Amino acid sequence: MSEAADVLPASRPVARFVLKTLAWLPPSFAVWYFGAPVLLWPAIALVRLVARVGLPDLVRTVEQSGAVCVFATTLKPGQALALSGNITVDVNTLLYAFGLPLYVALVLAAREPGWQRKLALGYVVIIPFVAWGVLADFLKNVAITSGQFVASQTGFSPLQNELIAFAFQFGSLILPTVVPAVAWVLMHRRFLEALREPGLRAG
Amino acid sequence: MVRFFLLFLALQAALFGAELSPWVQTYFVIPWTNQLASISAYLVTLFDPNVVATGKVLRHAVNGFAVSIEAGCNGVEATIVLLAAILAFPAPWKNKVIGLLAGTVAVQGLNVVRVISLFYLGQWDFQVFEWAHLYVWQALIMLDVLIVWLVWVRTLPKTQGSDGRKPPPGSAGLRGSAGAPAPAPS
Repeated sequence: MSEAADVLPASRPVARFVLKTLAWLPPSFAVWYFGAPVLLWPAIALVRLVARVGLPDLVRTVEQSGAVCVFATTLKPGQALALSGNITVDVNTLLYAFGLPLYVALVLAAREPGWQRKLALGYVVIIPFVAWGVLADFLKNVAITSGQFVASQTGFSPLQNELIAFAFQFGSLILPTVVPAVAWVLMHRRFLEALREPGLRAG
Repeated sequence: MVRFFLLFLALQAALFGAELSPWVQTYFVIPWTNQLASISAYLVTLFDPNVVATGKVLRHAVNGFAVSIEAGCNGVEATIVLLAAILAFPAPWKNKVIGLLAGTVAVQGLNVVRVISLFYLGQWDFQVFEWAHLYVWQALIMLDVLIVWLVWVRTLPKTQGSDGRKPPPGSAGLRGSAGAPAPAPS
């Protein structure tokens, strides 16, 4: 997996590390994509738990369909009698979980002692933030982008809508990439020290 | 390390909050996004003269395919992460300024590559475009930020704190509170 990196001298540890990471990214993405229904099950279970505890009047059920989180709500789509069903909202969980393969590639490229434990720990750290993104996406859908009639049924105040908008933006633009990077940095302090110290081997 | 981490989070939240404000959107984010489309169009026209930029949209004049550069694809968030990481790390201000300038160029440079590559991937295969757009390029841009930061950290003088003086034991660098006392500056 790291043959290309091995041709670089040890005096260029960052370049070696980058090449190894790039080499690990495709298989990491493949495992992540095809294993998503299993890998992301805990995130959806967490979303289900939060919805049940925090949004019982809004969400009837949260189901998983592959990598998609399906929210069945209590909200009506319109006032007409013909529109008597309830709204469902689909959220693609992958949109908030692409940091997982990045984290895996970084850990495998550094390959420090205890890398298996670091993989497991990183997964545990990242999953709640995936749940954050999914939940914020759902709330943004029903409270902001679904139109006045649906939004009015949610009962959210203007301030709550602002918080939902911020949580969605932060959960979609910042957290999915920053959390894996921060988790990796925090769990690889010795590796980073070795990158700074000439004579110590990193990567 | 704990101080760096907390400062990084605080700076990032503050910068991101500022980015979302109407004033910053009007006077910085939107003009920059439009400029990014113009830069991308200029580079593309070096080998494909049928591409034009209108506002934040990059459009092919012959087949009509267009991409709109939205939040998350203009490199602003990635730059914010890098700014927060460099500002939060204990280092002399001169190194921080150099890191901020060079790092911003590196991140935005790769982002131009992202925009152009997505423009052509979209014309070739929309499914591949979606994959690259939603997952792969997001990861690559953050990897770029991390690498720029690592390279910058490697360039730092090893024994100095943010004020250029020797830091107290364990207060600077990556070792955190478990670190050994730093040697005297040479």
